[in-house]
Amino acid sequence: MVHPAHSQIRSHLASKHLVATEAWLTAVLTTQRPTTPLPALKSTILFRLLASDFTKSLSVTSTSCFPPDVLDTSRQERLIHGPIPVQILDIDDIGHSKWSQIETIEAVERGETTKGREVIRTVVEEDSTDATTLSSGPFKLLLQDAKGTRVYAIEISPLPGVGLGTSIGAKLILKDVKVSRGVILMDSGTVLSLAGKIATWDKQWRADRKERLLRTVDSER
Amino acid sequence: MAGGRTINVLNVAEKPSVAKAVASILSRNQGLRTRDGRSRYNRIFEFNYSINGQPCHMLVTSVTGHLMELEFEDRFRKWHSCDPADLYHVPDKLDIKRTLEEEARRCQWLVLWLDCDREGENIAFEVIEVCTAVNTHLTIRRAHFSALIDSEIHEAVQHLVEPNKWFSDAVDARQEIDLRIGASFTRFQTMLLRDAFVIDLTTDDRNLVLSYGPCQFPTLGFIVERYWEVQAHEPEEFWTINCSHKSDEGIATFSWMRGHLFDYTCAIIIYEMCVQEPTATVTKVRQQEKLKYPPHPLNTIELEKRASRYFRMSSEHTMKVAEDLYQAGFISYPRTETDCFSQRTDLHVIVQEQQRHPVWGSYAQRLLDTGTGLWRNPSNGGHDDKAHPPIHPTKLFSGETRFSQDHHRLYELVVRHFLACVSQPAVGAETNVEIDIAGELFSASGRVILAKNYLDVYRFESWGSSMIPAYVFGQQEGIGTDATMHDHIKKLLDRFYATKDSNTRFSPTNLGEALVMGYDDMGYQLWKPYLRAVMERDMKAVSEGTMRKAEVLTTSLQQMKACFLDARLNKVKLFGAMAVFFERSNQSGGDEQHAHGDFVRRCGHCQESDMVLRRNRDGNFMVGCLGYPQCRNAIWLPGSISEAVVTTNICNTCTPGPVYLIQFKFRQLEIPPNYNANHLGCIGGCDEILRQLIEICGTGSRMPARGRGSTASSINVQQSNSRLGEARHSACIYCQQMGHSSSDCPSQVSGSHSARHRRMNSQSGGESSVPCSTCGAPCILRTANTENNSGRKFYSCQSQNCNFFVWEDNLNNGTGGRSVQSARMNVSASDTSRSRVRGRGGRGGPHAATATFVSATGDPVSGRRCFVCGDPSHFANVCPNRGS
Repeated sequence: MVHPAHSQIRSHLASKHLVATEAWLTAVLTTQRPTTPLPALKSTILFRLLASDFTKSLSVTSTSCFPPDVLDTSRQERLIHGPIPVQILDIDDIGHSKWSQIETIEAVERGETTKGREVIRTVVEEDSTDATTLSSGPFKLLLQDAKGTRVYAIEISPLPGVGLGTSIGAKLILKDVKVSRGVILMDSGTVLSLAGKIATWDKQWRADRKERLLRTVDSER
Repeated sequence: MAGGRTINVLNVAEKPSVAKAVASILSRNQGLRTRDGRSRYNRIFEFNYSINGQPCHMLVTSVTGHLMELEFEDRFRKWHSCDPADLYHVPDKLDIKRTLEEEARRCQWLVLWLDCDREGENIAFEVIEVCTAVNTHLTIRRAHFSALIDSEIHEAVQHLVEPNKWFSDAVDARQEIDLRIGASFTRFQTMLLRDAFVIDLTTDDRNLVLSYGPCQFPTLGFIVERYWEVQAHEPEEFWTINCSHKSDEGIATFSWMRGHLFDYTCAIIIYEMCVQEPTATVTKVRQQEKLKYPPHPLNTIELEKRASRYFRMSSEHTMKVAEDLYQAGFISYPRTETDCFSQRTDLHVIVQEQQRHPVWGSYAQRLLDTGTGLWRNPSNGGHDDKAHPPIHPTKLFSGETRFSQDHHRLYELVVRHFLACVSQPAVGAETNVEIDIAGELFSASGRVILAKNYLDVYRFESWGSSMIPAYVFGQQEGIGTDATMHDHIKKLLDRFYATKDSNTRFSPTNLGEALVMGYDDMGYQLWKPYLRAVMERDMKAVSEGTMRKAEVLTTSLQQMKACFLDARLNKVKLFGAMAVFFERSNQSGGDEQHAHGDFVRRCGHCQESDMVLRRNRDGNFMVGCLGYPQCRNAIWLPGSISEAVVTTNICNTCTPGPVYLIQFKFRQLEIPPNYNANHLGCIGGCDEILRQLIEICGTGSRMPARGRGSTASSINVQQSNSRLGEARHSACIYCQQMGHSSSDCPSQVSGSHSARHRRMNSQSGGESSVPCSTCGAPCILRTANTENNSGRKFYSCQSQNCNFFVWEDNLNNGTGGRSVQSARMNVSASDTSRSRVRGRGGRGGPHAATATFVSATGDPVSGRRCFVCGDPSHFANVCPNRGS
């Protein structure tokens, strides 16, 4: 049985450039009570979609995915109109050396933050992500579209909501983005952040981050 | 008061030279008589003077630094005489070195001319103590002066004040804390680690002391911490884009506002973007006047830092030179924390004095000329020790030949620094330009100096000017391709931490690193400056009178004692850290390493084991029996041997053979010139040359207090097997034999009841040792060497961390044990004729395994014993027989 609000939800999502698969939408809607008011239902479904894995929940269309030759490094510059919904798989701070990032993580582990040259002992707070958001980047992201294509993207100008505090699995909409040598150039005019998060990926990524950095440093030695 | 009876005034200065300067300034070199005091260095100057109208007969003399020395009382001074933890509560003793009593007796006034700092105040009170002891009616006055120049000295003597007890207390407290902490930790560290590790330093490690200073250690901490940072740093590649713009006006180099990126792909993409873009647009032009301010007035630390930076002079040398200049009256007192001039100081007078100088005289004139507007009241550095003004020149100094180049340079620094302080800041115009290429921002800046002002005189500082072309907002410039934007992406190594002044960079030694690491692992902040900073703050509070000395002493020492005891509990950590850097030395307690040595001969004493050539940790050679510790036969060889190798040649005279000859190589400078440095010798007793060399050079000192407790070094080549042979000098008192000291006498061991008893045991039950009650490891059997327990055997655990100790005869209770006991008492009874008896007799009875004998490291250490009675169960400072 199709949920009474099915088509309304579908068009609501489409207005956000998100086209969910029938299967995903039906599955999610069957768990919802038919009596839920429409605005609440819209928000719930959008939230569920942003917390989902796009490769499973979004339908693949030619415009909502990267063109197949997106990774062609011989193309010095091209424009992709999109809009393409993508999810963030990895975040790399390329404005700081790996080692200084490790040191920052260790300082936070020790309960220290720095202010200029001064080392400050912080009282342990519930929300411990504060210190990691201090870095201003620029950041290099690994993005994935609904088809599963993975493309690197760099921040040309600072993007609000993108930083080390950004969750893995967070969603972005790319519109009229420049792609140079297979790397997306993001700026505030072409990228819209929808937030969202895939909790298991994010937790794993954060837990492994220091280890990963250490490995990178070691391998470059 | 005027015209009253002439009084005698005793003036005491800190150094002879100051006394002389004060005397000659006050007397104006008229009617100045000089005579020798009891110390020929501290002369006495006499002249007549009048203080506030009171006619005075002045006697000016001096001390040399502190009169008293804060030291521990004798019985706590020897390292092994007490538990270092006791150092936190032993009374200290003031030892009077010199006396001023003679002069004080005939004086009515005492005027103290000690340097005006806390230390000087402290010495002042020592002088007061000495003088008032003989003359309770002395009127005591303090002279405050900062420079040995006429005006200061005359001013000081007319405005005498009361001495400041608070200052003195602060110094007392600091000295006491430093002494106690330093001594306790030094002993702890040294005794714990020196013997446990092979610490390979170039210094003579027999005297190796792992010292701990309350100030020095945090300094080491800084160095180590920094070193760790540097060590931990991994170089990583980064990329950056540079851009330069050349025009007729000059070249402007723009740097990328992103700084650098740690990702090659990203950097190259952005670079490509920039190269594609045909134009660069000026987005921002900012021009502003910048001022460069002259430094604050000079205090001691600044002087040391600047002398080091400008002249590469060490702090110590700088202060020595400054001291000389001060004593000659050229500069003010160089030990000051103050970096602001008080309102009272007439700065113009100081500048006027410099007007005549050939080099900077003209600058001084310009300063004083109000028309130039160059004068500026000096800035305030915010520190004031309320004792001395900032360091400044007091007198013109031009080329006195008795002074060195460094004196001239330092004087020049002081003068130029002072003149800079009272000058206007330099003025420059700075331009910042930002350009945009394809959205990427680059910036460049240039500076034009408009007025040099103080930089004219302060040649040590410079302010570079760099011209860049003028830019207008919105201005666009075409970008050439390779001509101007050639490969600017450079691969560079991350050198954030690689300091350029590699010649002045510090890096810690292994030892320093290990110590800091050890204390760090304990979770202690000993090596961090906090503890010290707290202490210094308390000292300041004492000198200001807001805290009492006793209060500070108690809290500080309690803290440090807690810290010390905790450190001792956690010494395993220190061990662990040391083990990272140093090889663990043999733990068996023997002086010699039980490494394999080359066979020399069969042991003539135990007739069981071989004697081998070995080199102990001190680098000294010995030929020892492999049967150690059961057989203690050993021949100590001269300390002047650098190499020794056992040869295949056999000695023809010595028996029982074979006795292999040893090829010795002596250090030429350590033996008399008529001896050959290379010598093929025999240790069997036939070798006269070797015997002579041992007599002349002595054997290498053997580490005392490690298992043996004997420091006897009167050792000779052993006369093999001639037991109870002819008594020569330095023979063993037990067996009258050469080649060992009485404490090592092998016959004493085997001849004693207990040894025989042990041998019986070992025949019946094999060589089974006693297991340690704590760790279960087999214990080592050792022999006590003291008068009371001479030859008495005991077991102790091999591990330093274990405190198991038991007399052997206590284990074998029954007849054997008792017979030993009685034998021992017999010995002490028969000893009465030879030496004073300190025997415990029947008083204490045998000390058993419960002994709480604690070493510096907190371990019950079996090898150490009371100096007084020889009992290993206590230290000498608590010996019940002491003084009896």
